[in-house]
Amino acid sequence: MAEVILKNLTKRWGDFVGVDNQSLDIHDKEFLVLLGPSGCGKTTTMRMIAGLEEPTSGEIWIGERKVNDDLPKDRDVAMVFQNYGLYPHMTIFDNIAYPLKVRGTPKADIRPRVERAAEQVELTQFLGRKPKALSGGQRQRVALARAIVRTPKVFLMDEPLSNLDAKLRVTMRAELKHLSRELKVTTVYVTHDQIEAMTLADRVAVMKHGVIQQLGTPDEIYNDPANLFVAGFIGSPAMNLVRGSVKDGHFITVDGVRLSTIASEDRNEVILGVRADDINVHEAGAGDIDTPIYAFENTGEASFLTVVWGDQRVIARGDRHLRKEQDDVVGLTLNPDHLYLFDPATERRIHL
Amino acid sequence: MTGKQRKQIWNAFQLTLILIATFIMLVPIVWIFLAAFKTHVDVYQLKLFFRPTLENFGTVFDDPYRLGEKLYNSTIVALVTVVFAIPIATCAAYSFSRFRLRGETTMLVMILATQFVPAVVIILPFFVMFRDIGLLDTRLGLILVNLAIVMPFAIWMIKGFIDGIPLDTEEAAMVDGSSRIQVIRNIVLPMAAPGLLTAAIFCFIIAWNEFLFALILTNKDAVTLPIGLALFKGEEGDLWNLLSAAGIIIMAPMFVLALIIRKYFVQGMTMGAVR
Repeated sequence: MAEVILKNLTKRWGDFVGVDNQSLDIHDKEFLVLLGPSGCGKTTTMRMIAGLEEPTSGEIWIGERKVNDDLPKDRDVAMVFQNYGLYPHMTIFDNIAYPLKVRGTPKADIRPRVERAAEQVELTQFLGRKPKALSGGQRQRVALARAIVRTPKVFLMDEPLSNLDAKLRVTMRAELKHLSRELKVTTVYVTHDQIEAMTLADRVAVMKHGVIQQLGTPDEIYNDPANLFVAGFIGSPAMNLVRGSVKDGHFITVDGVRLSTIASEDRNEVILGVRADDINVHEAGAGDIDTPIYAFENTGEASFLTVVWGDQRVIARGDRHLRKEQDDVVGLTLNPDHLYLFDPATERRIHL
Repeated sequence: MTGKQRKQIWNAFQLTLILIATFIMLVPIVWIFLAAFKTHVDVYQLKLFFRPTLENFGTVFDDPYRLGEKLYNSTIVALVTVVFAIPIATCAAYSFSRFRLRGETTMLVMILATQFVPAVVIILPFFVMFRDIGLLDTRLGLILVNLAIVMPFAIWMIKGFIDGIPLDTEEAAMVDGSSRIQVIRNIVLPMAAPGLLTAAIFCFIIAWNEFLFALILTNKDAVTLPIGLALFKGEEGDLWNLLSAAGIIIMAPMFVLALIIRKYFVQGMTMGAVR
């Protein structure tokens, strides 16, 4: 049980900056997700916490202890790897028991603890097998069991679900969430999957180019994005971003279409952000803007209408029973309560 | 002609080719095998049916040939070479595989490059050196030479196997609480075991068959089996039946080893070579 504190942490390889002078306080018992596209420094940050990567500068604290110079084994963390990192020459029992054995746990204690961990991830009947005889999902459970068999100060999880197929990923995600709420151990979780971040996290740190763009609850990063990157990265489909200007309380696209009223003073160059959910779809003439449909997609649970405004494509989400054809004209209305403005130069949010 | 017929003809053609190739390769061995059981009189005739004798195998161990001494020398030299080569090569291979070393590529290439030098070129310096420090005609001298010969192979081969072990696995073990030494002992060595065994047997075979250095650097006490073969020249010419018997004694361990490692051998060779 411990908090993890990163102070001005930097990792450079030659000229390449992996993590750029980042500070982060991860609270005790918190589930923190590092989210970002590949190469954003999220895995590097985690590997530095684990001790598998040495920081170029900065400090790492776990609990009351500065661990910069500690070997991974002395940091009292447990890690789940993307490729599981199982020991193929050992049985599942021995895999799960390894952290206990190597730390000198008395033999009599090992068996019950391994069995309990196996039970928590529903692996009991596989203990005698080798990893090779298990499916991907089962292997992932072994990796989890190996992490929870001890009670470390911190769990580190490096894209643990990304090697699983889509269906299994959803199941395992729920199991992970259940397990994490049960164990209540400080957890750092790395992923590029925003759904995982949204569903699992207490707080999310969105990273890009080695810099944390925004740190907040899933709610905050979804509904209150700090900049263009976070706005575009979180949400599926991504937030619509339309270039234009604000004049007389209206947002006007670059080709002069008045989209919506907006509570902002006049501005020349701005980017409007609006989520697909916040564009209401009506019949032609019944909305604010009549627009021909560029493409109509029906996913079963919803319908997505792509239209072209200015020089940008915009996606609106319609009812799942809505049926339209390409080139049909629909009326769209933007929900003025959920519009965002961004400064194209700084890419920062302009708070209304 | 149907596709099926064409396939059958093609298969038959392939089989014939394989049989011819096998025949060409096996003829000398079959000849030696037969000759080893023939008497001195029979050996010059290509008879397939003759009265076999085990006499040759006795004779080669008697005076003046005393193959037993050479067998002993060969065994000691090859075994000790392997016993030293594998642990040292494993350490080197692990370092090359897992650490970023200064001049790593250069070192690796240079280690391999030692193999590009023809043995005849360096054998004279070896002879002079060994004479000066008293290693001529000693098993220790031969062991040192053989170590120099097998180490590059062993390092490259074992490195190939260690490269094949996912780094994740080692890192998991470190986070789980192992020191580097524990990682190597508990994770790397067991996982690389087939590779180590292959490399060991490979080195043993090289050392066992080594001829040129043993020829120049030994003359009496440390003579090995391949050199011992040259002894079977009498006044009446080459003693083919004795030579063959000795040949079988040399080959026998190779056959046994080949059986043990046939499962891993090709894998070991390609992993080491192709990476």
